[in-house]
Amino acid sequence: MSSKTSTQTALPRLGAQLAPILIVCAILFALPLILNNDFLLNKVARYLVLGILTVSLALSWGFGGILNLGQAMSFGIGSYAMAMALKLKTVPVHTGSGGLPDFMVWNNVARLPWFWEPFKSLGFALAAGIIVPALVAAALGWFIFRSRVTGVYVSIITLATMVVLNLVIIDQQSYTGGFNGITDLAQLEIFGIAFDAYGRATFYLVASCVALSLLVAFAFTRSRAGLVVQAIRDHESRVRYFGYDVATYQIFVFALSAAIAGLAGMLYTIVMEFASPTFLGVQLSLSVVVWCAVGGRQSLVGAFLGAVLVAGVQGALSESAAFLETWTLVMGALFVLVVLFLPKGLAGLAQGAWRWIVQRRQLSHEIAQSVGQTKEGSA
Amino acid sequence: MTTHLDLRDVSVSFNGFRALNGLNMSVRKGELRCLIGPNGAGKTTALDIICGKVKPSAGTVTFDGTALQDLEEHEIARAGVGRKFQVPSVFRDLTVAENLEVARARHPGVWANLRWDIGGAGRADIERLAALVGLAEQLERPAAYLSHGQSQWLEIGMLVAQDAELILMDEPTAGMTVQETRKTADLFARLKGKHTLVVVEHDMSFVKAIGDIISVMHMGQLLAEGTAAEVEAHPEVRRAYLGSGGISNA
Repeated sequence: MSSKTSTQTALPRLGAQLAPILIVCAILFALPLILNNDFLLNKVARYLVLGILTVSLALSWGFGGILNLGQAMSFGIGSYAMAMALKLKTVPVHTGSGGLPDFMVWNNVARLPWFWEPFKSLGFALAAGIIVPALVAAALGWFIFRSRVTGVYVSIITLATMVVLNLVIIDQQSYTGGFNGITDLAQLEIFGIAFDAYGRATFYLVASCVALSLLVAFAFTRSRAGLVVQAIRDHESRVRYFGYDVATYQIFVFALSAAIAGLAGMLYTIVMEFASPTFLGVQLSLSVVVWCAVGGRQSLVGAFLGAVLVAGVQGALSESAAFLETWTLVMGALFVLVVLFLPKGLAGLAQGAWRWIVQRRQLSHEIAQSVGQTKEGSA
Repeated sequence: MTTHLDLRDVSVSFNGFRALNGLNMSVRKGELRCLIGPNGAGKTTALDIICGKVKPSAGTVTFDGTALQDLEEHEIARAGVGRKFQVPSVFRDLTVAENLEVARARHPGVWANLRWDIGGAGRADIERLAALVGLAEQLERPAAYLSHGQSQWLEIGMLVAQDAELILMDEPTAGMTVQETRKTADLFARLKGKHTLVVVEHDMSFVKAIGDIISVMHMGQLLAEGTAAEVEAHPEVRRAYLGSGGISNA
């Protein structure tokens, strides 16, 4: 095989992998032109944000082999970072001294706690919403992966850590808003653009972040480091004998995944107009795993579409009279079917169909060629 | 030629079973050393000790002046030690080209690998390696679809890609056809001199084809060392192989 033919096959492979991402992004940006309903746009934006969260899980689970059952922890931290900044920008009804958030006044807190202070700066909050989840994940990952914990134990540790943080937030009502979360927020305003939850600006912001997350995740999976991470997923101990420090790679992909989840969390606060302990709850965190499995955990676009579709259907079913009581059953059945029959999810199904079409076309092309040759030969 | 790899009084036990019991062995630079011995003699364990998979309970392993016994696996690999496992250990979901790409990394750090030069200048290298191990036509196939023999070849190719100074091979020809085994012997002859090789093998005709000096292990110790003829004539070796029909049927 000459080097020419193989570089020719390598390039379309890149194109074939990038094309679905670009198509999805193009559709998202065109959506507000077709969908002339602000309420519906807000709802779609919500599903898109959950899609970003699911992409972040696909990165650590599908590519890194790390099943993080506490993925919503990073999401929640991002969400609270944004909510804290926007809360300090509101003009509270029950203002305490120095613009104290209302729930602190009710809880007899006299002064703004020290860890709330830096959130007066929006820039700090935006950075914190991404960096803090990444640092928390890196620290947690350091303990997990340095001690070579693998498999189901990683899932248990991540889930437990998230539950602990969830309980702490609920418990520390005077500093976190407790069970009610942080509500009654100001609108985010950057460079004079106000991001109303029901406005187009917010939708475009979410769509841009979808594109950004997909492209960053895609770029990582295509890098050499991304290749090593996938090798670790396939055969962790073997990678060590090629000189790679496996734990460092695992910590890196774990933290990158958390950073993307943190970004999604910040957007969720903007779209929902509040932050709540349920954003880092077990139910959401496990739902993300289902969406990821249904969409296809080894495909970024697959995981994204899986989340948007399933969360969308979930929303529609839970609102319809016929499925009001049974929609969780429908979702459960869907999950069982996918796990049993589609281990690579809907993305695997689509890839299989695409390969079949390409092979059919090649085959008919070859048959046509050989028929042509025999005709030439006989003539 | 100087001593490249040196094992001194290496012992290790698993649940009371002494797999290695004061093993002493040294290999010179550029040498191809075959390691043979009856089942349970500790051949694979010896390789495990060198590459860091198993830590010795006593003794030292020195390679190129570096003490290996206290280093982690990836540090030992960075010191120039490559290992092929008995069961072909390749990355099943990655393509042949990607497997070779992972193996040929010169900079093992995360940040150094946030690069996108796959398919660039290194591509010619990958194709040369694939051609060397007869997998040029399979470059874009996932390793999961390779036959057993092809997987063996891929892992050997990955070791060549890694370009380690010291290569440890555990039964590289297991599951190969006669032709494939001959091809492997040719490849090893080419690697000899440039790399130092330690090969654990059962197939005596293969050992005779490739080996200069053969080390015979028995009960976790070195029993004899020498050329194939010397080793076969050795009375202790004959006794160790007693009942298994002699060394040629080991």
